[in-house]
Amino acid sequence: MNSVLRIAFALLAWVSALPAAARAGDSTQPTSSTIQAFERLPIQEGGRVKPVASFARFTLLSASGSTSPVDADGRRCGAAEWLLRLALFPELAKDDPVLLVEDSQALTAVGLVTHDHKKRDRWSYAELTPVLPDLLDRAHAAQGIAADQRTPIQLQTLRIAESALTVLRIGRTLDFARHRMPLLDGTRVAALFPGRDAVGVADVIERAPEIAALERELAGSDDGRERGAITALWRNATELCADAQILAWIPPVRPVADEADWKTPADLLLAARSGGSASAEHVALLRAAEEVTARRTDPAKLEQALETLVARVESLAAARGELGPIGLEVAYQRLGLLGWSTALFLIGFALCALAWLRPRGRFVRRAAGIAAGIALVLLCAAIVMRCTIRGRPPVSTLYETVLFVTASAALVALVVERIQRQRIHLALACLVGAGGLFLANGYEALDGKDTMPSLVAVLDTNFWLATHVTAITLGYAAGLLAAILGSAYVVIAFLRGARVDRERQRSLARSTYGVVCFALCFAVVGTILGGIWANESWGRFWGWDPKENGALLICLTMIATVHARRAGAVRDLGTCIAAAFGGTVVAFSWWGVNLLGVGLHSYGFTSGIHRALWTYYVAQWSVVGLGGVVWLMRRRAVSSARSASTSSAADVRASSRAEEGNLVPPALPRAPTRSVKSATR
Amino acid sequence: MRLACVLLVLLGLLTWLGTLEQVHSSLYDVQRKYFESFVLMHDFGPFAIPLPGANLVMSALAVNLVLGGFVRLRKSRETAGILVTHVGIALLLVAALMKHHASQEGRVTLSEGQSSDWFESDYRWEIVVRDLRPDGSVHEHAVPFDALANAADSAPVEISAESLPFVLDVREALSNCRPDVVRGGGSSEVHLTAVPRDQEIARNIPGARFTLRDLRGGNEVTGLVWGAQSAPFTTAVADARFEVDVRRERHPLPFGLTLADFRKVDHPRSSMPRSFESDVLVDGERKVTISMNEPLRADGLVVYQASWGPQDAAPGARLFSTFAVVRNPADSLPLVACIVIALGLVFHFTRKLTRHVRSQRSAA
Repeated sequence: MNSVLRIAFALLAWVSALPAAARAGDSTQPTSSTIQAFERLPIQEGGRVKPVASFARFTLLSASGSTSPVDADGRRCGAAEWLLRLALFPELAKDDPVLLVEDSQALTAVGLVTHDHKKRDRWSYAELTPVLPDLLDRAHAAQGIAADQRTPIQLQTLRIAESALTVLRIGRTLDFARHRMPLLDGTRVAALFPGRDAVGVADVIERAPEIAALERELAGSDDGRERGAITALWRNATELCADAQILAWIPPVRPVADEADWKTPADLLLAARSGGSASAEHVALLRAAEEVTARRTDPAKLEQALETLVARVESLAAARGELGPIGLEVAYQRLGLLGWSTALFLIGFALCALAWLRPRGRFVRRAAGIAAGIALVLLCAAIVMRCTIRGRPPVSTLYETVLFVTASAALVALVVERIQRQRIHLALACLVGAGGLFLANGYEALDGKDTMPSLVAVLDTNFWLATHVTAITLGYAAGLLAAILGSAYVVIAFLRGARVDRERQRSLARSTYGVVCFALCFAVVGTILGGIWANESWGRFWGWDPKENGALLICLTMIATVHARRAGAVRDLGTCIAAAFGGTVVAFSWWGVNLLGVGLHSYGFTSGIHRALWTYYVAQWSVVGLGGVVWLMRRRAVSSARSASTSSAADVRASSRAEEGNLVPPALPRAPTRSVKSATR
Repeated sequence: MRLACVLLVLLGLLTWLGTLEQVHSSLYDVQRKYFESFVLMHDFGPFAIPLPGANLVMSALAVNLVLGGFVRLRKSRETAGILVTHVGIALLLVAALMKHHASQEGRVTLSEGQSSDWFESDYRWEIVVRDLRPDGSVHEHAVPFDALANAADSAPVEISAESLPFVLDVREALSNCRPDVVRGGGSSEVHLTAVPRDQEIARNIPGARFTLRDLRGGNEVTGLVWGAQSAPFTTAVADARFEVDVRRERHPLPFGLTLADFRKVDHPRSSMPRSFESDVLVDGERKVTISMNEPLRADGLVVYQASWGPQDAAPGARLFSTFAVVRNPADSLPLVACIVIALGLVFHFTRKLTRHVRSQRSAA
């Protein structure tokens, strides 16, 4: 028991590894309240306004495959902290090992010594600097090759180069606020800034109309010094803004309909240079950013400066009505409900296992139930938060199908547990919950993209997302749950053989069948609704598209199972085998068809899912095979029971035990003739 | 019911094979081979396995549904839900049949400001003879291209009408062809050369060779028409001018459709489309906005936003918008079927579940 608890606590500690509090006296370490203020900074990216915390999370995920990177001193930090440190202290953060290299061959190919690193390891930007030009060249060459023709090394090279460039750009994103440009003494452009010998980008943008006017005035003159001073000023400002383009954090000031795009400092400079005078609010924003970089080594003042900056951006965004539930999104990223939920599902499963070892421990069983219940509540809370943030029904992306499938499968399993009270459903609920969340986590890391993206035109309909998508996803959930229940039945029947608990097995088979029926309802209704939606947006109900076919396959499998059971062609074992097979059909429809890369629904980058999917197929088919073995064993048992009933007394005992253990299905037609044959063999 | 299981499994197998096959061949071919056939040979490595086509399997399932699901089903309160569900499935099949036999599909492309009172098929073609009257009016006689499939020199297909002073003998009709110039003896001659049919059905360009026989004993003229040619074949018979052309089959729209404005809006700072919208005028007055998921329904037709262009247009340039037009008498039947099926299933399974829960309680 101790070891189980220890594992559970270790898991809890792992999940709750929150960003460590700042160490006192380290001036290069932003305080945790500074980081919290920074997390809120609204930016516009991928078509929507979001907190910088989300941008940090997914940028980091795609660069390092993790959301809690280790800095050069081996200290863990959060995604937002990493981003802030990188922007404020690029000279230090360049040593943080955050660039994931899946296969160091990509680096040896450009002549880097990789002995002191593992094959799959995280490298720092500084370590890659010597080979970066070469790496970028190769990445450029790889880009010219069709996506499906690239070798693994080329793919790696592309990925590393992209991540390194992102790190480089983020490191330079505050250059516009950090550096001052010298003014050429005694020139007329210097006279625009009396008493200054150097100016910042904000100054240039503020006085841009005057500078531009001066430039026009001097256009005809042959005073090279004067003209050169202006050209140099523009060029330097442009250079400093060049890498600020990665973050659009400046809301357009007047709420004009055609000004949907937020600005970067580079956009402001360009607009100012081409004649538009920058608004006072924007200049104030740029100055606030200058203040942030100026205060970077003074934690208290930095916090103040950053608060000011974020508050300014927030008020501009709010005036445009674009701030929305950004606070909720920050909370969502900060709380990490899914991590807690995963841990609780695992604890619940561990407790279930414990309850098996000590069947009388009612306390343990109850604790398992509570853990699973809380885990499910947290998962549902996370889903509800996502719905509120996006203003959409629960499922609109592939990632969200995973969350929703997990939640609904666990919920159905718990409901079945309430009805049947067999404990096995509780254990399976925990298993489904933890497994589903691991899948979600893995997919998120693999994809490395915002999991709350804007939707393309055809998906922009809450009605169909709420009906068709929800229904079909519930069908997936129930189909997979039925597969797990059915597999449990088959595996238990195989392992325990004659010693199996008849009553329990029957109950398990019954709940499997019930869940199959549930899956059937939602799969059929969801599939037809999908057709109606297709008819509504494309004018055809059915087009034999792979995703449509996948849904049809689920329906057909479930319908065939239900009919076979009603016809008496299969009984408990057969239903469970069919349900187990049905799981692979669901997996094919859910993920498999997307891997085919054809049709209207190949919307996800899912090639990395390949292995996981095939593992699941093979596992489930093995269960089906095992089911076949159990079936054969039962037939053997029946035949030997029949032939033995006329022979010795000992065999009679054995056969009666076999009857007890429900080795004999209630009726087996054609058994007598064949059983004689097999008995003689 | 066992037969139903076998058929369902067969249909499942076909669906699965037909899905995997789409990786290698076009959707159109797969659809023809697996889903609209009665028998087929599935290539399995070096072997070819004969399989019943989905058409056959589904027909058998329909018969099975009627016999097993209605006729032979024991009718009681117990099976009410099952019966209702089967009725819903049958409704779906009826909808499919109606759509198959009575639907019209096509598209119409309009530039901003342009109007149309017809739409054209994607892949059906027709030969049209145009009578250009001196008063400026045009009278058209159209014959579906499919009706000419067997035309040959030995057995030409005649196109004639009372108002036409000539008979058009179609001597050759090719469903996909290209014109070739054959030079010889100082003169050059244009021939139509048959080309294998394209996987993409809309890419097939038909052509035909014909002779015009003047009914008043005039001379015979030979002509060619081809789907992609820029100008029709023109001739004059007794002071009247006529044109012969091959074009995508046209159907009248029961209302005039004018495109006022097309808008493609992207999500800010991304190239991801947020919406495609066309403002259209119906009969020149009623303004309707057609967008993805929001088609226009009028007079039994449904008009969908299908495509747009030119995709590389400069900002402010005149755009065109393409609408898919569908006439489907069974348009709303699937929704009815869906509701019926949902009711049947929910009724049946809820009944079973509550009964099970009750028995479980009494046992405990």
